[in-house]
Amino acid sequence: MMQGWHTFFMDLVEQMPLILHGVGNTILLGVTISVTGLIFGIVVFYLALSHNVIVRSCVKGYISFFTGMPLIVLLFLMYYGLPSWGVRLSPFVVSVIGFTMNIAAYNAAYLMSGYNSLDAAEIDAAKSQGFTPLQLFKWITLPQVLLLSVPALSNQVIRNIKDTSVAFLIQYTEFFARIQELAASNFQFFKAYFFAGVVYLLLVSLVVLMARWLERHIVIPGLHRTLDRQS
Amino acid sequence: MIKIRSLVKDFDGHCVLNGVNLDVAAGDIKVVMGASGCGKSTLLRCLNRLLDVTSGSIHFMGNDITHKDTDVRQLRQQIGFVFQQFALYRHLSVLDNVTLALRKLRGLSRADANEKASFELEKLAMIDHRHKYPAQISGGQKQRVAIARALAMDPSMIVFDEPTSALDPIMSREVAALIRTLNEERVTILCVTHDVALGKVLSDNVVFLDRGEVKAEASFDYLCHDHPDAEVRAFFGRGESR
Amino acid sequence: MLPFIEILATLAEGVAYTVWVTVVCSVTGVGVGLTVVALRKLEISSLTIFLDVFTYVFRAVPLLVMLFIVYFGFPSLGVKLSPLLAMVLSLGVIAGAYLGEVYRGALQAVDDHEILAAQSMGFNRWQILLLIEFPQMLRFSFPGMVNEFTTVLKYSPFAYTVGMPEITKQAMALTGVTNQGIEIYLAAGLLYFAIYRILLLALQAVENYWRIPGMKPL
Repeated sequence: MMQGWHTFFMDLVEQMPLILHGVGNTILLGVTISVTGLIFGIVVFYLALSHNVIVRSCVKGYISFFTGMPLIVLLFLMYYGLPSWGVRLSPFVVSVIGFTMNIAAYNAAYLMSGYNSLDAAEIDAAKSQGFTPLQLFKWITLPQVLLLSVPALSNQVIRNIKDTSVAFLIQYTEFFARIQELAASNFQFFKAYFFAGVVYLLLVSLVVLMARWLERHIVIPGLHRTLDRQS
Repeated sequence: MIKIRSLVKDFDGHCVLNGVNLDVAAGDIKVVMGASGCGKSTLLRCLNRLLDVTSGSIHFMGNDITHKDTDVRQLRQQIGFVFQQFALYRHLSVLDNVTLALRKLRGLSRADANEKASFELEKLAMIDHRHKYPAQISGGQKQRVAIARALAMDPSMIVFDEPTSALDPIMSREVAALIRTLNEERVTILCVTHDVALGKVLSDNVVFLDRGEVKAEASFDYLCHDHPDAEVRAFFGRGESR
Repeated sequence: MLPFIEILATLAEGVAYTVWVTVVCSVTGVGVGLTVVALRKLEISSLTIFLDVFTYVFRAVPLLVMLFIVYFGFPSLGVKLSPLLAMVLSLGVIAGAYLGEVYRGALQAVDDHEILAAQSMGFNRWQILLLIEFPQMLRFSFPGMVNEFTTVLKYSPFAYTVGMPEITKQAMALTGVTNQGIEIYLAAGLLYFAIYRILLLALQAVENYWRIPGMKPL
């Protein structure tokens, strides 16, 4: 058994440059989609507050559809489907678009539930001071909702990091794809996947630590009364 | 400063304001009283266009603000509003609550806004609390910050919506004294309340609003003892015992 | 060119598998979650640490990795599993780790006074757990459970990687023989969405049935 681990680590060291490159790609994708997913999620949330009934129901449909459909189907649709229309996108681009649509729907839903715990009187106060709807959103609604949603949003980032492993199914050469190659070359499947699990555990732990730090440093007294951790 | 004529506001056929007439002169302090549900809050909300009126007119500094082409934001910046529950922005410190509008609406630099805000907070004895958040100060202190926030914009008038309903009796008295002081400094004030004690401190005369109509505009003494309507006498009689 | 309706009909052959995987993994998740929360009640510190580690690890490692460890890795340890069992041991147990946390939060919402009252009436701790705490906890945790069950559904396509002929597998097979990827995956997406909505409705009905007047879910 120990012998097996020894040869496994020899192979691992040999392929380390490729594996590190894979880890880099995993982090690149994870960070990119977390940022685009948050930005687009904020846009969707803003539209969800629109006075226009049509806009609101479109947003509702968007959130419902993308939180109700598996991400992988969306990725396959773009990666295996679009070429039949002559559109060929790289695995990275497909991943970024697919993940962003999916994550934005979730983030918008979190922001909406944060919005429901806002104080209507504050909104009235801001209107009474003469803020335009956009100013009100920028300076009152969004800051409060973002602060309230930090736990939910950071859990989403953790999910994003884990879900990047899906991208290997559409040939994006991230970490798990490299592990596949490693396993296929030496047939040490259990060891390879176990090692992969440990690496993801470390990556996720890193995000958990960052999220805890963030939560500790942005505490505003009295605002987090509705704070609850859920994932 | 304000001239309201035949103001009507109904919500889906339910009439909340039914032909209200009201005048507030510059430098004046006007107290509007009535039981809850009499249309007081609706009246205030029409004043800064949080609600649109059904019919009638509201003249503010000579212009009818019920017109479609009124610059609502300009109007709102000229009328300071102090809410019942104070409605401080929970994510901002006391200081930033006061400076936000100065910076974002008036375009003041942070330093200038801080200076202006500090001046107002100093006046209201809240300067020492400027770095605290709303949740860390008492109801009376929140009220002061809300007033400072309104004053900082140099409004033409300040409107109070039930300023004492969320406060205990001692704080209520302090706030009443404070509003009086403001008025003595020539700030025009419109105060809506059902607190008879507060009304008495603020003004000798009072407007009595009942079911969307101005029932009387007279001295407390008259309303309490001599008004023909027993309900009115009963309403104002409550203040005697307090 | 296959008409859209025919695509739907072909993919629908996988629906039973998708639903089956979702149900089996969800039930496993509930079982694991309840076990975790019950074991926590024993308040044995070493056991609690073990449960904390279990919860943390199974919430941190991606499903795909867990599934591959179980399905492709275990045989080298001499354990060969069926695709369904592999899904249960990965997706089902991961759902259990999440549900354990959902239940833990819901358990804290049970009023301490009721437990005190039960103790003073002479109930032992297991009776209190089963008769007082669990019935309330399950109702409090309903939104969290619904959330987890729908998550299980949305991760069920990974069953295709271990060869289960569910919707996604059918879609891949069909794209192999036609050139209509867009229509096929769109149809797959609609099927999943339909199952998702039906699942939500069914769970809503269950919640209404079990609802107790005056008790709000968390």
